[in-house]
Amino acid sequence: MGHAVEARRLEKRFTRRRSIRDILFHPFRSPEAVQALRGVDLTIREGEIFGLLGPNGAGKTTLLKILSCLVLPDVGTAAIGGYPTSREQLVKPLIGLVHSDERSFYWRLTGRQNMNFFSTLYEVPREARDARVDELLRKVDMEEAADRPFADYSSGMKQRMSIARALLHDPPILLMDEPTRSLDPAAALSLRRFIQDELSGRDRKTIVLATHNLHEAELLCSRIAILMKGKVRQIGTVEEVRRWGLDTRNYEMEVDRWPVEAGERFAVLSDRSWEDGRRVRVALAGEDGLNLLLAFLMERGVKLRSCNQVDADLEGAFARILEAE
Amino acid sequence: MIRVAAKLWAFIVRDFQQQVSYRLAFLLQIGGMFLSLGAFFFLTRMIDPEAKGLDGMNPFEWMLLGLAFQYYFSTALYAFSAKVRSEQMMGTLEAMLVSPTSTGLVIFSSAAWDFTYAGFRVLLYLGGAWLIFGISFHLENFPVLILGVVLTLLSSVGLGMLSASFILYFKRGDPINFFLSGMTTFFGTVFFPAEQLPAFLQGVSDYLPITWSLRVVRGALLLGKGFAELKNDLLALTVLTAVLLPAGLFLSRIAIRKAKQEGSLVQY
Repeated sequence: MGHAVEARRLEKRFTRRRSIRDILFHPFRSPEAVQALRGVDLTIREGEIFGLLGPNGAGKTTLLKILSCLVLPDVGTAAIGGYPTSREQLVKPLIGLVHSDERSFYWRLTGRQNMNFFSTLYEVPREARDARVDELLRKVDMEEAADRPFADYSSGMKQRMSIARALLHDPPILLMDEPTRSLDPAAALSLRRFIQDELSGRDRKTIVLATHNLHEAELLCSRIAILMKGKVRQIGTVEEVRRWGLDTRNYEMEVDRWPVEAGERFAVLSDRSWEDGRRVRVALAGEDGLNLLLAFLMERGVKLRSCNQVDADLEGAFARILEAE
Repeated sequence: MIRVAAKLWAFIVRDFQQQVSYRLAFLLQIGGMFLSLGAFFFLTRMIDPEAKGLDGMNPFEWMLLGLAFQYYFSTALYAFSAKVRSEQMMGTLEAMLVSPTSTGLVIFSSAAWDFTYAGFRVLLYLGGAWLIFGISFHLENFPVLILGVVLTLLSSVGLGMLSASFILYFKRGDPINFFLSGMTTFFGTVFFPAEQLPAFLQGVSDYLPITWSLRVVRGALLLGKGFAELKNDLLALTVLTAVLLPAGLFLSRIAIRKAKQEGSLVQY
C-alpha cells in the first residue's frame, strides 16, 4: 500500500506584520510571531481515514493548508501522491478540500450554479459537466434543493455541498477541516455515516480529517495523530494512542465475593455490590497481571462470573498527553 | 487556451448571475448613468469650445469620451484588488485556489466581469449620447479605434495587477488605488486638457496610459483621424502597455508567492 500523504520536518511560522507607526516608534522590536508547526513528520496511507486531532491552535488547519498548496512551509517538505506540494499543478488534481467554513460559496447563486462554476475551475470536461454535477448532487442528497439559493440551505446542506464540490474532479485524497463543526447532532451523525460508508467504504478515498472532536475521531479514523503546539505528540492506530501513557490494563470482573487480601495485593479502582456478588474494577500491570490475579482468586475459591478488559478511551489519552506537555 | 477561455467565461457567467440577482440595483445603476450623462451635457455648455487643448472638439463630446474611458481605468484599478479582497472576506478565494486553476488566473479572471461590464457601460454612454443628444461619431477608422481600445484594456490590466499585488502583499488596496485614481483623474485629460495645467505639471500626463488612450479614441471617434495621424499616440500607448503589463504580472507573481509564504493569501 502506497503513501497518499507524507510530511517531513514541516515547520511554519507566521509573523504578524507591523504597522508603519509601530516600525517608526519601535524600530528594533521584533515582530510578533506564532510558530504554527514545529517539525511535523507523518505518513498517511492510501485508503485510510487519518485523524488530525488537537486543540484549537495546534496547527491542524495550517498543516491542511500546506497540503492543499495554499501555504508554503518554511522548512521541510510535504508530498501528495508522491509529488511535492511545490508542484501545484500535479498535486491539486489529487486533492479535494472540504471546508468547515460555510461562507466558501456564493450565497446568492443556487447550489447548481455554484457547482457549475467550480466544475470549470476543477477542469471537469465541458461535455461531462452537467452529468457530473447531477451525479454529485444526487450522491450528497441535494438534487431536490439544487436550484434553491445557497443562502436558503441549512448548515448540514451547506456542508454536503462542500463535500460535493471537493469531489468534482474525483480526487483520490480528501482533506476535511472540521466538517461537522457547525452541525447539529443529527446532521453530524448523517455526515459521519456518509464519510465512512460512501467516501471511505465505497469510493476508497484517502481522508485526512482535522477535528477536535475525539468521539468523531474514534468512530471514523483508522489512525490518528495528536498535534499540540505544532508538534505531533502521538501517532498510531486509535487503540495505540488510547493506550498511550498507560502502563496498566483495566479489567472489570463480576465475582461472588472479593477477598480482603486481594485489595492489598492488586490495585482496585472500584468495588461495589452487584446482584448477589461484587463488581470490581482493577488495574493490572504487566503482561501476566491478569494471570496472577486469576490464579490468586482460584486459590481462594472465588467464583468468577465474567471478566472484561475495559478500553482506555481517547479522551483519557488526550488528557495524559496534555498533562505531559 | 480553450481551458483558460472557458474559465474566464465561467467567471463572467458567475458574476452576471450575481449581478442580475440584484435586479433593482442593476436598473438603478443604468438609470443613474443616464442622469450623469445629462448633467455633463448641461455642465459642458458652460465651457468655451475654443478653450486651449480641445482642438476644436465639442466640450461635451470631449468629456463624454474622457468619462467613458476613465471608467475602464478605474475598473482596472479597483476591480482586481476589490475582488481579491471580497473573495478573501467571503471565504471563496480559498475554495478557488485549491482547485487546479492557477492563482494568477483566478485573480486575473476575477475581474473579467467588471471589464465586460465596463465595456457595456462605455457602449451605453456612447449609445445614450448618440440617441439622446444627437452626438455623431466617426467610425470609418474602426480598426484604429479597436487597436486603441485593446491597448487601453491591456495597459489598464497592467495597472490593475499592480494594484492587486499591493493588496495581496499589504492587505490594503486603498492607498495605492486612491493615488493612482487621483493621478488618472487629474493628469489623465479626463475632464480638462493637459494644456490647462501649469506648464511644469503638463509633462506628468505623458506618463499615464489614459492620456494616450484618450488621444487615440478622441482622435478616431470625434475627429475621424486614421492610423497615420495617430501612430505616435498609439506608439506611446504601446510602450506604456509594454512596461505596465509585464510589470503588473511579474509583481503579482511575487506578491502571490509572498502571500503564500506568509499564509495571508486566504486570510483576511
